[in-house]
Parts: sequence; structure tokens; C-alpha cells
Amino acid sequence: MKKKVLSVLLASAMVLSLAACGSQSAAPAPATDNAAPADDTAAAPADTADTTEAEPATASELTDGKFAETRHITVEVYDRGNDGGSDPTNNMYTEYIKKGMLEQHNVEVEFVAVPRWTETEELNNLLASGDAPDVCVTYSYPTILKYANMGGVIDLKDVVEQYKADTPNMWDWLGDKNVLWDKDPNTGSLWAIEGKRAEQQRIVTFVRQDWLDALGLKAPTTTQEFEDMLVAFRDNADTLLGKDAKKMVPFSVSYDVGWRASNIITAFKDPKMTDKEYYVNGFDDRMLTEPQTKEAVRLLNKWYNDGLMWKDFALYGSGDSTEDDMMKAGYVGAFQHNWDYPFRNGEDSINANLKRNVGENAKFVAIDPFENSEGKHAKWLYSSAGDRKIFFPTTNDEVLASLLYVDFISSPDTIKYLQAGDEGVTHNVLDSGAIQIVAAEGDAIQNSGKNIDYTITCNGTWFGSADLAALSLAYGYAEIDPADVTQADKCAMADGMEPANVNVGEITAEADAGDTLSAKRDQIYDNAMSAKPEDFDKVWDDGIADYLAAGGQAIIDERTQKWEATYSGDMLP
Amino acid sequence: MAKSKTVVKTPKQKITKAYMKRYWQLYALLLLPMIYFFVFKYVPMEYVLIAFKKYSIVQKVWEMPWAKNHGMEYFIKAFSSKDFINSLRNTIVLNLLDLVIGFPIPIIFALILNELRFKLFKKSVQTIAYMPHFLSWVIIYGLALQLFAPTNGLVNMAIMKFGGEAVPFLNEGKHWVGTYIGLGIWQSFGWNSIIYLAAIAGISPELYEAASVDGAGRFQKMWHVTLPGIKPTIVVLLIMALGNVIGSNFDRPFALQNNLVMQNAEVISTYVYKAGIKGLQFSLTTAVGLFQSVVNVIFLLSANWLSRKLGERGIW
Repeated sequence: MKKKVLSVLLASAMVLSLAACGSQSAAPAPATDNAAPADDTAAAPADTADTTEAEPATASELTDGKFAETRHITVEVYDRGNDGGSDPTNNMYTEYIKKGMLEQHNVEVEFVAVPRWTETEELNNLLASGDAPDVCVTYSYPTILKYANMGGVIDLKDVVEQYKADTPNMWDWLGDKNVLWDKDPNTGSLWAIEGKRAEQQRIVTFVRQDWLDALGLKAPTTTQEFEDMLVAFRDNADTLLGKDAKKMVPFSVSYDVGWRASNIITAFKDPKMTDKEYYVNGFDDRMLTEPQTKEAVRLLNKWYNDGLMWKDFALYGSGDSTEDDMMKAGYVGAFQHNWDYPFRNGEDSINANLKRNVGENAKFVAIDPFENSEGKHAKWLYSSAGDRKIFFPTTNDEVLASLLYVDFISSPDTIKYLQAGDEGVTHNVLDSGAIQIVAAEGDAIQNSGKNIDYTITCNGTWFGSADLAALSLAYGYAEIDPADVTQADKCAMADGMEPANVNVGEITAEADAGDTLSAKRDQIYDNAMSAKPEDFDKVWDDGIADYLAAGGQAIIDERTQKWEATYSGDMLP
Repeated sequence: MAKSKTVVKTPKQKITKAYMKRYWQLYALLLLPMIYFFVFKYVPMEYVLIAFKKYSIVQKVWEMPWAKNHGMEYFIKAFSSKDFINSLRNTIVLNLLDLVIGFPIPIIFALILNELRFKLFKKSVQTIAYMPHFLSWVIIYGLALQLFAPTNGLVNMAIMKFGGEAVPFLNEGKHWVGTYIGLGIWQSFGWNSIIYLAAIAGISPELYEAASVDGAGRFQKMWHVTLPGIKPTIVVLLIMALGNVIGSNFDRPFALQNNLVMQNAEVISTYVYKAGIKGLQFSLTTAVGLFQSVVNVIFLLSANWLSRKLGERGIW
């Protein structure tokens, strides 16, 4: 009897497991099936284009901007994992977006969180498994290109034109410039729409005002004065930090030297560098292969070996808060970073922390000491395009709904609400009409500055109008003295250079090398900066040789060749 | 009657109808794991083909076009890539060091523990030694940073306090290798000693008594009784370790490496992750992974063959 029961049990277990296996192994198949006829899905909108052209009514699917049946789309949002932040997929702002999209277009929006600091890896996984959100956002164009070449990204060239009438806000805000920025001049393909930077300020040098005061120093105005100041910080560590003197870091950079010393590297640049030379070396914005960079890093190397910099810089990866914590604790004398870095995050901002931890006068202020051979304080600005790129993977079968989302998120009202929130809760309106941001709590906390993680087509203060934005810029940071913001803004813009868009078609070598080269770039910077002075030349030259051999040279060659095929001279017309 | 006759006569069972009727449940039981292995371990292997094909996310593996050079394009590319050669070298060096330094330590530890007679002390030492095994490598790296960071690390602060120079445990290639090996041993020696302790427990006490009668001392007993007693266990584990000599786990090197030591710290698994998943070169890294697996199997088989030649049992 027992045996019978056992066999029945066994048999049923087998059947069940087989069934389970069946469904398991069958599961991936439809996924690939979905993905497989990529050309079909990509072609589908084109088909509808034909039909809509046949019928004069363009909004065949939409009545008053609404779908007849509720559609559902998924949208990527960065998860920054902030301490005490709000849930990036469910807070006051996502509610606003969901409600707005449902009311205006009858589209349900679901957010998919992607970790900010590993976005490329995460997105790769999602794309490769066919689970990518319908509306994807990334800073990495090579990633998009790679998937586009495999047929994994929808070509937007026809749909953006076809639905132009349905997406007025998108075209108003982004214009031809940003919508068509990435259009391939040879094939006409458009894989991504470029978000717009409302603020062009990029990188600024910050210094501890209270340390300058304590030592009776003036803010440095030349590179030499800056170095003297660092030396003064180091030599007076006991005065400035007392028992924590050993923890002093006069000048701090992270592993990402190309970013965190950008203004120094740019100051070494030959002001007469041609557009062509800049473009050819411009695979990324860290300037590794530009000719002047070596001498700039040699200076950093000298500072490093003179004990003016943080020795542990390379041990902490991207997104790690150790360096920020040192700034907040008051151990750091100077650093370079995004122009508003010490002001960000309200009560948890670096300056607010300094005030609490060190004293009323402790704060970082912007300075602009690095001059180039012409005596100018040249530094790069952001181009108004070239920010985040929005693309739709071929698994997206709601292209119109997704475009409507981009439209909705670009409308002045939406941007204003997402940036400023509710009056009395996250902002006050001053007598001048300026919007003053106040520290928010709970659900109303913005996880990213100006909520850029939601305003994917807009990076920087805009509030729906350029005038209001200019008026409000200085009041954009809770707990921060507006004068400090204005000064940082001035330093960031002084002698600023805006990069031009050079679009000579796809550089195939970039799609192959992409991320590997970026990792290598950081290794070269880090190793060269921390090498012994006598080894510096060898470390740098070996590193560059390795970088070029690993794909850097191929990119430079292809860029040179395509530049020469497109433009006649060495400068842009 | 006939049934039992066949059973008695042939040492090797013939699979007859009657035999199956009697034992089919056992085979049915075996079927489940076999299906598991087939579905989850063998069916996905078709994707090994990616190594020979030009990868595309939207095509099935059979539809992708073959890579250039008769499908060997990516193998050629891998072996002409400095990064791959470098990570291959690092993998072998780090694993051999792990093997040479790390393999005997659990054995010695087990022998020492076995000599302890004070039970409570023995148990507590054992438990404390196991514990690091349960820490993830990310946490261990956090501990290592607190201890070994050049300016803020506790150890370096102590060294500097006594007038010494900070030791670049984590930020200079050769020192980093030492740290890597050391942390690896610290994390796993206690856990790895369990199996030896179990083997030692299985040695007949009579052997020890006989040795005592013959006048053997403690060390002689250890050398002539305990060690030979656990020799088969040691050999099996050694074979398995050899089979893994160019294999690599991912989290340990990945958690411990940083930009300054990449020359010594990049191993195959992290290279595959960076070039393949981050850098989107799926075909290239599948080729690398396949190469790694093939070499591992070769190592495993030859170690097994060698141990049988030398009169040990091997693992099959």
C-alpha cells in the first residue's frame, strides 16, 4: 500500500515538474519571438504611417490627445539610493506624472528603477533579456548604438515626424536641434532623442572660505597661487583641524580624475586647438588623448607626491560617499566638481553639513584660479544637447504612447511642477516672483537635483520659462546662501567654451570599445597621478599606448577619416 | 526462481523486464535530477555557439551569422588582446598562490585542532574560524578598507604612529596580491578544515592505540596515522582545486580590485563581466568563457588521471 502511495506521489511529482519545466523552457521562447521580428515592430509604425497618410485624419488613434483604450507603458527612472530619499518609483512626483498621463492621454505609466551608478550594465541586462522599459534613458550613446546595430532599438526617424502634431511640447522644448541631433547624416536613422540642458554650467573649483580667512589668504587667481594655497593648508593643518590634522586633504579628487580635475586639464589646453583635433580626441569628455593632458596630470602627480592630495582616492568606486563624507566633516580644503555640487540635497548638502559639523562660517565657495596660456580662465560648458538620450527598445509596442510621454514630460507645466513641487511645501514664491526652493520631507524629497531623473528632457533649472529660471537660479538650493550660488554660476560661465555638435555619422569603432575604454581611461589617470615622480613618464606613456592599442587609436582614425570626408578644413564652418 | 538465479550468477546486473519492474521507482527518482540537469544545464549550452557567431539580441542563436575566420574570429581576437592575456596570467598566478599557500593551511589547522583535548576551547576556536566564511566579499572589502587603507586604515595608522611608512596593502600591485591571498585564506580556512576534521574523526582509534603501544609520540602519530588516514580526502580536494586553476570566482576579485592594481587584479571572470556585460562584447567573452571551461576540464581530467596513476582513487 505504502509503495503504491509512493509511486503515485512520485509520478505526480514527475508530471508536475515536467509541466513546470515545460513552461520554464517555453518562457524565454516567446520573449525572443517578441524580440526576433525586430524589423517588424520597427516597421509597424511605418505601416501605420501609410494608413494615416491615406486617411486625412492624422490622429487616427487619438481623440483629443487620448487613446480610446487605456494603454500601458513602462518608463526608466534612475535610482540614486540616497540616504533618506523617497522611493523613485512612487512619490509625489510620480503620482503627478501618472495622473497627468492618464488624464491627458489615457496612458498608464509604470516606473522601472535602474541604479544610477551602474546604469549601463543594468540597462544592458534589461535590453539583452528583452525586459527593458518602453522609454529608456541613458547617458551612453555607444550603448544605444550597439543595440541599434543589433536591431534592438526603434528607429525614430519616421515616427517623430508622423506624430509631430501630437507632440507639440516636445518639439517646442527640444526643437529640431535636440530631436534630430543624433540623426545619422548618411542613413537618416534616428536612434535617440537628446534631452536638453537648461543649464550650461559644468565644473567649478571650490575652496573652504573659512580656511582662507583663518590663514589670512585671498582667493587664488592663478594656478601658482592655488598651489601655494594648498601648501599653506597642508602646513597649517594643526591650526585648521587641530587633533584631526592628519586627516586633512588639501585638494581632493576621486578615481574619476578626468572629471574632477577637468578645469586644470582644460587650462593646459592650447587655446588654438582646432575643432578637428578636439573632435578627433573627443570620444569622451575626459580629454585623455589630448596633447596637453599629460602636463596637467604631471602637475597633479607633483601635488600628490607633495602630500597635497588624498591617497585613498582610487579605493572608492563611483557612487561611494566616503569622499563626500570627508568634505562634510570638514577635512577637505578644495575640490573641483559640478558647479552646484556643495549646494545639492538641501539639509544634507555639503555646505549645510559643514555649517552643522564645523561652524557657522564653514562653507565651500567657488573660485576660478586656473588660467591658460592666453591668461583666460577657459573651461568647458555643456552643450545644450548632449545630455541624456531617450530611446525606445524594439520590445516597445506603444511607440505613440511613449512619444506622448516624452511630450508630457517636456511641457512647461510638468517641468515646473517636477522642479518646484507645491508652493508652501517645496518652494516659496519671493516678492520678486522668484521661486525659492525649501527643504522637503518624505514623499516630496527630490532624489536628484531639480528632479532631473523625471524631467528626462530637461537638465537644470527652467521652471517652464527661461526668465523665471534666471530669476530663481540663486534661490534654487534650500539652506544655501543665494550669493554663493551666484558666485558659482559666475565662475562656471567665465570664459566658458561651448562644444559644437559634430555629426559625421556613426563611428563604428566606438560601439565596440565603449565602456572598456572608459574603465581603462580612469586606470591611466589614477596610476599616473599616483606614480612616483620619476616613473610618471613611463606610467603615462605605457598607459596611453595601451589605451590606443585597445581601441582608442581605431576611434581616432575613424573620427579623423569621417571628419575629412565631411568638412574641408580643420575648423567647423 | 529464475529471477534470483540471474541475480546470483552475474555480477553485473542485466536490465531485464523483471528487474525494472522491481526497481523502476529508483530510476524514476533519478529522473528528476536528470531532467533538471538537462533543462537547466544542457539546454542553455546551445548558447555556447555565440562564441562562434556574430551576436545579435534579436535573433535566435541558430539564426545568427557565423563569425569570420571559420567562426574563430573571437578566439583570435581574445588571444591578441593584451587585456585578456593579462587577465589569464593574473588568474593563473592568483589561483596558484591560493593553491600553494591556501591549500595546506586547513589541513594543518585540522591537525592542530585534532590534538586539542579541551573540548570547549576546541569548539569555540572552530566556530570562530568558520565565521568569516559567511561574510560576503563586499563586507570583507569594507573591513579591509577600514584596516588597510593607506591614510585612514587602522593598521597603517598604527604603523605611522610608530614612525613607519604606510604600507600600500590595497593600492600597489604586489602588496595587493598579498592582501588578496591573505584575505582569501582568512575567509575560508576554517570552513575548509571541516571536511578534514570529519575525515580525521573517521580514523579508527585502534590505529592510534597500536601506534602508542609501538611507542609513537604525538608527532609520529600525526605523521604516520592521521595524515595517511586523511590522504584520500586530501587527494580528492586537491584534484578539485586543480580543476579550478584557471577558473575564478567573481565576487572576491571584483570586490577587492581598484583602478590602481588592475594590472595584477583583473582576472578572467571580471574581464568577462567588464568586456562582455558592460562593454557589450558578448561573443568575445563567451569565447573566453568557453576557453576557460575547456582548460578547466582538461586540468581536472589530467589531475584525476595522475592521481589514479599514483595509486590513489581519484574522483571517478
